[in-house]
Amino acid sequence: MPLDIDKLYLQVQEMASAIPASAARAQLAEAQRRLRQADADKLRKKLDEREKGKPKIPWLVAEPVDTLSAILPAPPPPADFSVAAADGSTIPPDRHSEVRFYVINVGQTILTYGSSPGAVLGASGDLYHTEEELFFDAGNKHIPIEGRRLGIRMSVEEMDGLLDAGCKAPSPAIAICDGSLILWQLQSKDEDQDFCTHYLERFLHALGAFRNMGIPVVSYISYPGSGEVANSLRLLLCDDTNRRCQDCPQDTSDQRLCRYIGGLRDRHLFQGLLNPGERSDILISQSQILEKYGDHKIQFFYTDVGGEIARVEAPSWVMGDREMLDLVHSVIYDQCQRSSQYPPYPPALIEAHEQAVISTGERQMVENLVEQVLAAQGHDYVRSAKDRSKRSRGV
Amino acid sequence: MVDANSDRIGEIIETESTRFVAESLTLHRPPELGSLVYVESDGVCLYGAVCYGTTASPDPGRRAVRRSTEGVYDEAIYREHPQLQHTLRTEFAARLVGWSTDERIRHYLPPQPPALHYSVRRCTQAQVIAFTEGLTYLRLLLNADEIAPEQLLAAHIRSAYGARGQDTDWLARAAREVASLFKSDYERLMTVLYGIEPAN
Repeated sequence: MPLDIDKLYLQVQEMASAIPASAARAQLAEAQRRLRQADADKLRKKLDEREKGKPKIPWLVAEPVDTLSAILPAPPPPADFSVAAADGSTIPPDRHSEVRFYVINVGQTILTYGSSPGAVLGASGDLYHTEEELFFDAGNKHIPIEGRRLGIRMSVEEMDGLLDAGCKAPSPAIAICDGSLILWQLQSKDEDQDFCTHYLERFLHALGAFRNMGIPVVSYISYPGSGEVANSLRLLLCDDTNRRCQDCPQDTSDQRLCRYIGGLRDRHLFQGLLNPGERSDILISQSQILEKYGDHKIQFFYTDVGGEIARVEAPSWVMGDREMLDLVHSVIYDQCQRSSQYPPYPPALIEAHEQAVISTGERQMVENLVEQVLAAQGHDYVRSAKDRSKRSRGV
Repeated sequence: MVDANSDRIGEIIETESTRFVAESLTLHRPPELGSLVYVESDGVCLYGAVCYGTTASPDPGRRAVRRSTEGVYDEAIYREHPQLQHTLRTEFAARLVGWSTDERIRHYLPPQPPALHYSVRRCTQAQVIAFTEGLTYLRLLLNADEIAPEQLLAAHIRSAYGARGQDTDWLARAAREVASLFKSDYERLMTVLYGIEPAN
């Protein structure tokens, strides 16, 4: 056992003692108080000024559609409604194997509540192995679909799977997926632009189909790590006398509060500010990739689902439609109340994940199947020496 | 759901020379403990006595958790959490007790276990009467390890006695057969006899 647990134990103790304790609670309360009093017009004006030449904001900020401070209770869900959900899982290409392929499995769920309760659970898995499937623009650029690109492809397949489930869900329905609707991975300057355009178009096409059917599509982020609202609050606190944050002397109490908020996530600000069921106002994400989203610009709100602050993202046509927004808000809180775990998590997403997940045993079965079929057709199935050394460890 | 035109109650998901396990077609409703079921394959009819029933998640990593709230309990839980109809499974096991081809019934283990994925059906009253005419198969139930063999014997005899229209002559014959099986173990014998007493 080469990992020195005794040494790690001391480092874990150091890490734990470095977590700020009660002294920070007063600062958090002050930050929350300032958020409740936040002037959205002032924020918009500041954002506008920064756009026009003043020092650029070095972080991603949330722009309020209406206010930054409103707190809204969850309306009751309709008597009858359904929830469609999808989640995905992959077996990535194996570089230790002679044959190249990958598997994407998309799990789907439709849960129907009310007078005719019901459930449809299922999964659809495909093995991709042709040149056209393994490489983007196989004849020309020959860009391998692996790593981050495979993740993007899976997100698109998940969205198609969600659309398929959403079509079959009895109305009124919401469609929900896990994670973010903002494909920020496509922002990378290193990524091929044709690849980005191709998969973003497919993703946006699915969002468009949801819009045509009048089904609100949302994503749910548990334990969100984003800090856009915190950053907006920092911008409001800033007296704009210093051109860059690095030059800020942090003399005033607002400057010190700004520095403190810089270490917070949005979930810290809303924890305790929102009561179970309540949500924040609608906020506009300023992720660069959204410039390419056309009519489907992603907006979000935070909500206390009863034990956790979750972030819910949806296109602007969902958030801007009061009926759809209320349906989303009420159904998400209702889902979390039906959850059997604490903190809660929507059962539709749990079941979609259970359908999607490819277990270690199933991964082994796929490998065995490939080996058997190749052998039956007279092909050798040779794996790398490094891989073999890991599988049969000699002493 | 069970087809109205079919008497199928389950599908075999584990099979051995002495027993099989089937997934019930209806949640929470395995066939009664001790009742006779049968499986047909290749012109052979194999009989089993139901020796165990259970409802749980088929995934060993997912345990059932409490779902009830103040206003939602028992049947209402299944209305409020419709996915449970799909994420829970009812299974039952049966001990093989004999087999038949055409009209001839054998009260010993079949040469082959029943085929995996084949249908399990509830025995008709006529089948129960015909099969339980001979009683030597009762000793096969002594090998049960799912529940105490005396309890399985008693449950099976009660079930067959009911199917035979409270045939007291048959019950007396069954009791004598049990007595011969437990002739050297008074306590176990009495456990079975108390269990099949018609007044109980």
